[in-house]
Amino acid sequence: MSLTKTIFLTEIAKGLALTLKKLFSRPVTVQYPEERKPVAPGFRGRHALVRDPETGRDRCIGCMRCAKVCPSQCIYIETERDPETKRRVVTKYEIEALRCVYCGYCEEVCPVNAIVLTEFYEYVGYTREDLYFDRERLLKNWDEFIVTQKRPYFNPFWRPRGIPEKMLPAPKRKAEGV
Amino acid sequence: MAPTVEVVQKQCGHPEWEEPFVVNMGPQHPSTHGVLRLYLELDGENVVKCDPRIGYLHRGVEKLSENMTYTQAMILTDRLDYISSAANNVGYCLAVEKLLGLEVPRRARLLRTIVCEMARISSHLLWLATHALDIGAMTVFLYCFRDREWLLDIYEKICGARLTVSYPRVGGVRLDFTSEIIDELYKFTEEFPSRILDYETLIDVNRIWLKRTKGIAVISAEKAVNLGLTGPSLRGSGVPYDVRKFKPYDAYDEVEFEVPVGKIGDTYDRYRVRMEELRQANRIIRQCLDKLSETEGEPVVAEEAPDLLMPEKKKTPQAVPHPKKGFLVKGAEVPVVPEGEVYVSIEAPKGELGYYIVSDGSGKPWRVRVRAPSFVHISSIPELIKGHMVADLIAVIGTLDVVLGECDR
Repeated sequence: MSLTKTIFLTEIAKGLALTLKKLFSRPVTVQYPEERKPVAPGFRGRHALVRDPETGRDRCIGCMRCAKVCPSQCIYIETERDPETKRRVVTKYEIEALRCVYCGYCEEVCPVNAIVLTEFYEYVGYTREDLYFDRERLLKNWDEFIVTQKRPYFNPFWRPRGIPEKMLPAPKRKAEGV
Repeated sequence: MAPTVEVVQKQCGHPEWEEPFVVNMGPQHPSTHGVLRLYLELDGENVVKCDPRIGYLHRGVEKLSENMTYTQAMILTDRLDYISSAANNVGYCLAVEKLLGLEVPRRARLLRTIVCEMARISSHLLWLATHALDIGAMTVFLYCFRDREWLLDIYEKICGARLTVSYPRVGGVRLDFTSEIIDELYKFTEEFPSRILDYETLIDVNRIWLKRTKGIAVISAEKAVNLGLTGPSLRGSGVPYDVRKFKPYDAYDEVEFEVPVGKIGDTYDRYRVRMEELRQANRIIRQCLDKLSETEGEPVVAEEAPDLLMPEKKKTPQAVPHPKKGFLVKGAEVPVVPEGEVYVSIEAPKGELGYYIVSDGSGKPWRVRVRAPSFVHISSIPELIKGHMVADLIAVIGTLDVVLGECDR
């Protein structure tokens, strides 16, 4: 550093000039509770079970793929056979949100696109039970989420972009928005 | 083992002192970047002895992986170096792919290179922000976080998560980019070089910054190699070792970039190396984006890649010798992941990150070992701090860029 530069504090003046310039530019701060940043489509937030507009119930067929693929093992499903129709009926579908790591594997492997991680992220609870989602609660989560969305809603993980057709199960290949 | 009082008295040069002045820096100290605890013995302000004590963030990632399938265990690698989770994912996926003998499609390799370099930029920005803040420059901190936020927003658009991205998968990546993301990234690469200039205007020749970094924690090339330093910490000493050049993975053999090196290996040289790496990373992203248009519409996952569920066995037609009918083709069950062991290392933002996986063909890794750069770097703190003061310790921790999630695993 030359003597003149040392005496006149040139580098410090340059730095201060930069910060002064920024003083007159538009602030980048988002005043969070009042303003919100838009959430990207496919954001992995609170869980929900898709309510089928035709039947009014969830679409889960009880194949257990989501429970098997879950790295934190937070999905509990119980199924039984209907003695008359011999079809599999889901009797229990629960997600312990506190254990979830939000990887999105469950929505990717679900063959009928029954489960979704919604773009809703502001949820808290006073007790552990508050964040232990049973089937009714998961459907309620969907109802709360879908009113904020444009219909038909289609989550990117339901049919991931660029995945070869061959790797997807048949219902996923022709999946449509809800 | 702590030294005896006599030894410390001898080191301090103050025989009249009865015992050394012992200070515990951390595990809750804001400048230790996590939960690093340093056991310090001081003589006034001079550090006589420094002994890093680690393990406060131990979660047993390696052991947990043994009870998970290969896809499930990838989720854990996000949480190693949580600042650059995409790079960790890529390293793990490369190791499993080597075990499987999988060829990844070109588009997926380009996408992985882009997210890896984005991880490098976001990691280096956080390093610059906190390192400058520790040394006393507040404004750089704010500017760096502003730009890092932009990158995290792009991550959110790519895969739906900002920090623990879990974007790659065994055999490729999970989602393709949309044209909107590519436009956003082009905008970022256009804008980012001028942002780097902004940081440099603030601290590059600032006299306070120079006094705090020049000649601090000098390490010669020979010593750096012997201590096992990798990444920018090694390159700051003038050793041009970079896994991306020496053993290219993904699309690094297709792109042009330089490996910046320092001269004398002090804190300032390491700072210069990282700043130059920001520019090179930006250049790599730009080249990959240009190449992406050539592979438009190609799949991003290899067709023979295993399902996310990763079953233990798969059926394959196999010719079985039969005593009467000659050969019969039968569906034999073979393990999805064959037996064997692999070691794959990548150039993570912090240094060389290695994964050693042993498979016994059971569908779950028998052993996973992570060669974490931060673990090695922390072990070099006592060597680097020799002859310096407590205030320089902050600069030393900052310049090594350690992340405790990766060190303690």
